[in-house]
Amino acid sequence: MSLIAGHLEPYLVLSGLLFSIGAFGFLARRNAISMLMSVELMLNAVNLAAIAFGAFVPELAGEGASFALLVIAVAAAEATVGLAIVIAIYRNRKTPLVDEYDTMRQ
Amino acid sequence: MMPMAEGVQIGLLPGYAPLLLALPLAGFAFTAAVGRRLGKRAHLVPLVAIAAVWLIAMSLALPALTGGLGEGGASLPLFSWIASGDLRFDLGLHVDALTGALLLVVTTVGALVHLYSVGYMAHDDSYWRFFAYLNLFMFSMLLLVLADNLLVIFAAWELVGLSSYLLIGFWYTKRAPGLAAKKAFITNRVGDVGFALGLMGLVAVFGTLDIPTILAGIEGGALAGPAATVIALLVFCGAVGKSAQFPLHVWLPDAMEGPTPVSALIHAATMVNAGVYLVARMSPLFAASHEAMLVVAAIGIFTAIFAASIAFTQTDIKRVLAFSTLSQLGYMFAALGVGAWVPAIFHLITHGFFKGLLFLGSGSVIHAVEGEQEMPKMGGLAPKIPLTYATMLVGTVAIAGLPPLAGFWSKDEILGEAFKFGFAWVWLVGMIVAGMTAFYMFRLMGMTFWGKSRVPEGVHVHESPWTMTLPLVVLAVPSIAIGFLLGYPFADGLLVHGLEPVFHAASAALGHEHEAWTLFGIDGLLMLASVTVAAIGTAIGVRLFRSDHAELLGRVTARLAPLYRGSRGRWFFDDLNDLVFVRFGGRLASALWWFDRRVVDGAVNGVGALASGSGRGLRQIQTGRVQNYALGIAVGLIAMATIFLVTAR
Repeated sequence: MSLIAGHLEPYLVLSGLLFSIGAFGFLARRNAISMLMSVELMLNAVNLAAIAFGAFVPELAGEGASFALLVIAVAAAEATVGLAIVIAIYRNRKTPLVDEYDTMRQ
Repeated sequence: MMPMAEGVQIGLLPGYAPLLLALPLAGFAFTAAVGRRLGKRAHLVPLVAIAAVWLIAMSLALPALTGGLGEGGASLPLFSWIASGDLRFDLGLHVDALTGALLLVVTTVGALVHLYSVGYMAHDDSYWRFFAYLNLFMFSMLLLVLADNLLVIFAAWELVGLSSYLLIGFWYTKRAPGLAAKKAFITNRVGDVGFALGLMGLVAVFGTLDIPTILAGIEGGALAGPAATVIALLVFCGAVGKSAQFPLHVWLPDAMEGPTPVSALIHAATMVNAGVYLVARMSPLFAASHEAMLVVAAIGIFTAIFAASIAFTQTDIKRVLAFSTLSQLGYMFAALGVGAWVPAIFHLITHGFFKGLLFLGSGSVIHAVEGEQEMPKMGGLAPKIPLTYATMLVGTVAIAGLPPLAGFWSKDEILGEAFKFGFAWVWLVGMIVAGMTAFYMFRLMGMTFWGKSRVPEGVHVHESPWTMTLPLVVLAVPSIAIGFLLGYPFADGLLVHGLEPVFHAASAALGHEHEAWTLFGIDGLLMLASVTVAAIGTAIGVRLFRSDHAELLGRVTARLAPLYRGSRGRWFFDDLNDLVFVRFGGRLASALWWFDRRVVDGAVNGVGALASGSGRGLRQIQTGRVQNYALGIAVGLIAMATIFLVTAR
């Protein structure tokens, strides 16, 4: 067993890091595709946390894994719809950059 | 239709009665539409319309006055004007002896004034407009006297006010007539506010403005005590405005800026009588309140002496007659206030004729001296315009109250009844006014017709055309005879019999008995007294103004200098109004305007500005960029997590 195998904390720290990277990417990247990828990163960070809780807390053994599976399914649907929207907007605006999508302002 | 009292039948008017209203209205509409193109023939249609109206009115008024229509008169329901839930206002015509008396004056003077105007207005560019307005006025005035619903009367009341406004300001390109028209209109509004409130009070009590219903209700005791006083006085406010009684008298002298036929028709013989008519029509309402009657009598007799004192010193011939009209209207109100209903209406009739005659005569004088109205520039006109002089002399003797002309009969009845009903103060002041009236009227005659001519060189004094002198001659006939025809034998004449049913309820409420007239008793003495006073006034007037007594006159005025100045300045009532309403009221209005603009409008505008300003500010954060919103969500999330972590400890 490796150094970290027996502890919950390293998984949660990794999950937090991944979530922060995803959040930063979502707020900072201008490209719509990159933003979608950042969303996936955040979702997977949450998944990691859920799996880790499921593995280390006996009362949550079943719930953690099934919750993660549910999130994966939702994430797949989200990615599909999100990409479709991005492509639709791209066809209209001829740009992938979200800061030029300001029609809602009017 | 409501029964006025048990057993009194109300007949049905003949079907042609609405023509009284339709003809002048059609004449007005026709002349207003195409009159301009008719040029000097514009008078034909209005003149024919009024002539026909006169015939119809006579066919109704004479039976009404002689009892031919039955005791309660006759009605003709026309149509339902307003029907809203329980509230109904129906338009119907009603002719009884009171209406008949008014019809007699209104249509006779009206028809003659139309004829007179053909000559008087011949040189005016707006000839057609004048006749259109005259017909509009006739329609309004006839509606006022014929309607059997107070709301219709109120509408007609405003319509005569409008016609009066249009005709006073007929020469609207000049400043003075425009101002006078506005003054008349605004002053009347003051009274009309009271009238409208009174009508609302009547609706609140009776739920209707149908006159027979209201009068029957009052007879049944439905309205008494303070409520009756308040409503009666509010209605009286309207009468004060329309009949130019103190303190709303200020508009009538200025209304003389209008053409003279208008002064004769509207501001002497007809419209100004509307207030008297209203009080007489609502006599049971006033009789229900002792206080209201006292106010009517006091205002009437005060206006009578107040206006007569001003008439002493005016030099404009029409102004003298205007103040004389105020004074005579005051007589009528004094008569109404003491419960002498029949003499009041009697005086209304006789005054309508002789004052119409005097005004038309003054117009003929003004015409003769080419537009001059100031009596100091007249004098010695009698031989040059003999017909005008003769007819005006008839009018003067009539108004002075010298027997056997018309004014004597009605004035004597007013004074006699005031004395007999226990109003000695009204009688005493009335006697003084009778003397004053005789004096200032003979002053007018003296300054205009007698003595040496003061007409400037180059003015060619000429008698008026027949269209103007014929009405004078025709009006001279009733000015001589109508008093005798209607008022003889004393207290038992035609008019007394005709009007007795109309005023029966009001007189009964006051407890006035119909008494026989006694020549060798109190009545004979009272008559002798009033004739003596009139004769004294006449004698002084003739003595001072028969020929040029400039030096005697100067001595008299010098001795009475303060009185002279006060009278000449109309007791400064216009100045008082100017001070109170124009200066002080204007300041107050400006202050209120400032308050309205700054505080009321400021508050409303402030609320609006707050909303739009905060909207403008909040708009800045709506960038339309997804990432800004996401940042907001992230910051919010972090903030909530921090709060949770801090407080969870």
